[in-house]
Amino acid sequence: MSEIKPILSALKRSKTGAILLVLQIAITLALVSNAMSIVFDRLDKMTQQTGYDEQSIISYLVVTYDKRIDKAKQFDEDIQKLKELPGVIEALAVSSVPLTRSGGSWMLSTDPDDLKGKSVDSGYLYGNHTLVGALGLKVTEGRDFTENDVVYDRKKEYPTVAIVSRAVANALFGEGKGLNETIYSGNNAAKVIGIIDTIKSQWPKSNIADNLVLLPLQDSTAYQKFVVKTTEHQRAEVMNKIEPLLLELSRGRVVMDVKALDKSKADTYASDRLMIKMLISIVVFLGIITALGIFGLTHFNISKRTKQIGTRRALGARKSTIFKHFLLENMVVTSLGMLIGVIGALLLGRKLMGVYDVPPLENMSILLTAISMIVMSLIAVLVPAQRAANISPSVATRSI
Amino acid sequence: MLHMQNIGKLYQTEMVQTQALREFNLTVEEGEFIAVTGPSGSGKTTFLNIAGLLEPYSSGQYTLDGIDIGKLNDNQRSDLRNQKIGFIFQGFNLIPDLDLFENIEVPLRYRGIKAKERKKRVEQCLEQVGLAGRARHLPQQLSGGQQQRVAIARALAGEPRFLLADEPTGNLDSLMARQVMTLLEELNQSGTTIVMVTHDQELARRTPRNIQIVDGQVADFTLYQGGHAARETVNKTVGA
Repeated sequence: MSEIKPILSALKRSKTGAILLVLQIAITLALVSNAMSIVFDRLDKMTQQTGYDEQSIISYLVVTYDKRIDKAKQFDEDIQKLKELPGVIEALAVSSVPLTRSGGSWMLSTDPDDLKGKSVDSGYLYGNHTLVGALGLKVTEGRDFTENDVVYDRKKEYPTVAIVSRAVANALFGEGKGLNETIYSGNNAAKVIGIIDTIKSQWPKSNIADNLVLLPLQDSTAYQKFVVKTTEHQRAEVMNKIEPLLLELSRGRVVMDVKALDKSKADTYASDRLMIKMLISIVVFLGIITALGIFGLTHFNISKRTKQIGTRRALGARKSTIFKHFLLENMVVTSLGMLIGVIGALLLGRKLMGVYDVPPLENMSILLTAISMIVMSLIAVLVPAQRAANISPSVATRSI
Repeated sequence: MLHMQNIGKLYQTEMVQTQALREFNLTVEEGEFIAVTGPSGSGKTTFLNIAGLLEPYSSGQYTLDGIDIGKLNDNQRSDLRNQKIGFIFQGFNLIPDLDLFENIEVPLRYRGIKAKERKKRVEQCLEQVGLAGRARHLPQQLSGGQQQRVAIARALAGEPRFLLADEPTGNLDSLMARQVMTLLEELNQSGTTIVMVTHDQELARRTPRNIQIVDGQVADFTLYQGGHAARETVNKTVGA
């Protein structure tokens, strides 16, 4: 490593190119590590467990325009016939479909007067006693709904029991508590009979992503949503049969939005995927530019210093000495760029957090970016350094 | 100490073959000061490159200080250059981004000499060429003659047995050329073997032994004694 001192003093004396490269590396590191941090955050959200059996659930919407149809009766028949299809495990009417960014939300409280108690915003979702099983959810604590819990006409009565997500229970009653407590929405009270650890609301990207209340309530409206649980491999087949089957049973209505739950989820995250793709394109672009910069500067340095390299060889430098010289020189420049880049990344991260809704910069993201940039810069310098090492010592005596 | 026998050097490109040296024979004894002259294109530089292990030869045998150069690999040749040969180039070939001290230090670093010892030797060599106290100057802050003296100091720092000079005064005016030549003569008197390639007949006349290369061969062999033009042509084959 005795070569490092003359390399430093040489860099100090012809610094323009090196400074530009240091800046380029620093800017790339700052931008890329912030971009990657956002990408990781989005990916993390997209891949979080939702608790739903996404691969075997279908949702659809029935809009009944013929007023003569007795909807409650017709829906019972629909579901009975649907269940006769091969591959269908469960089917029921629901108030909304999870993960689709549409549905109802309310404010829950520990007291009928929400000013007195603790309160939390949450999505709600209702259906009959098969709701939890049909969605593939698992009650972690307490019990599932039974047939006796189900309310069929909400104008007359309101469900007296509820199953809540762990996040809701924790927010209202404290960490790990909530079972058998009572929750209020205005004057409606319901006892928490079950808690589910892993579940997402209809808005998985929002700040109430983890807040959901399930209620045993079956409705039959003119604009009614349904979910169907099938076996995983027969889902596609069932999906094709739903509309013809229902229309065969009764006209006077429209069946629409027949959709797989994983597809609905993908639609919800479409903008995030686009964002990830764009950020990754920028990252790759910046990476290539920086690599070209390093490659170019080293190439230029070598062309400019051909005679000097020949002279060094004549004075006794081995090929490997020359090779190491350029590697070391590149490492000095890269490290300096890294150092400035890390500071820049942290400052930029803080700035971005203040202006936009982005998560705090992950140290892991800086580290990974720095490591990949070191690897990239090494690769970029290998070829020119090898070329330098192969310069013949006899160029020292050439007069041009 | 230098012994070349039937050295041939063939440059080959797709279009042409050039025989730069053919059946080249030369022996240089320890302590000699030889001037190699010849018209341009005669093979002077090729001879210098081969003698300095800067490029390989195509045929024949070359031994330097008893070592058969043909048997060495690239690393061994690099090490041998570093240890035994000092180079002085026409264009000085100082490294512009390094100051004088760092320039002179270069071959010593390659040899792995410790910093303290390097410092001692560099200062000693700077003194020897009359540039003590200018260690931290950059080459471009010096005149041509001073730069060449730095280059000589760099060549001397490694205490080489053998000094190869390629037109050492070619880029200098006559006053500076004379100063550099005087320095070389002093070095020779203190025991360093010097081979100097030059096209300057006047300069060549100042050395005890002259060799002329014509068409890649040693054309004649001239001895000057005491600087007088007592010319004596000897056989083409020398010291075989």
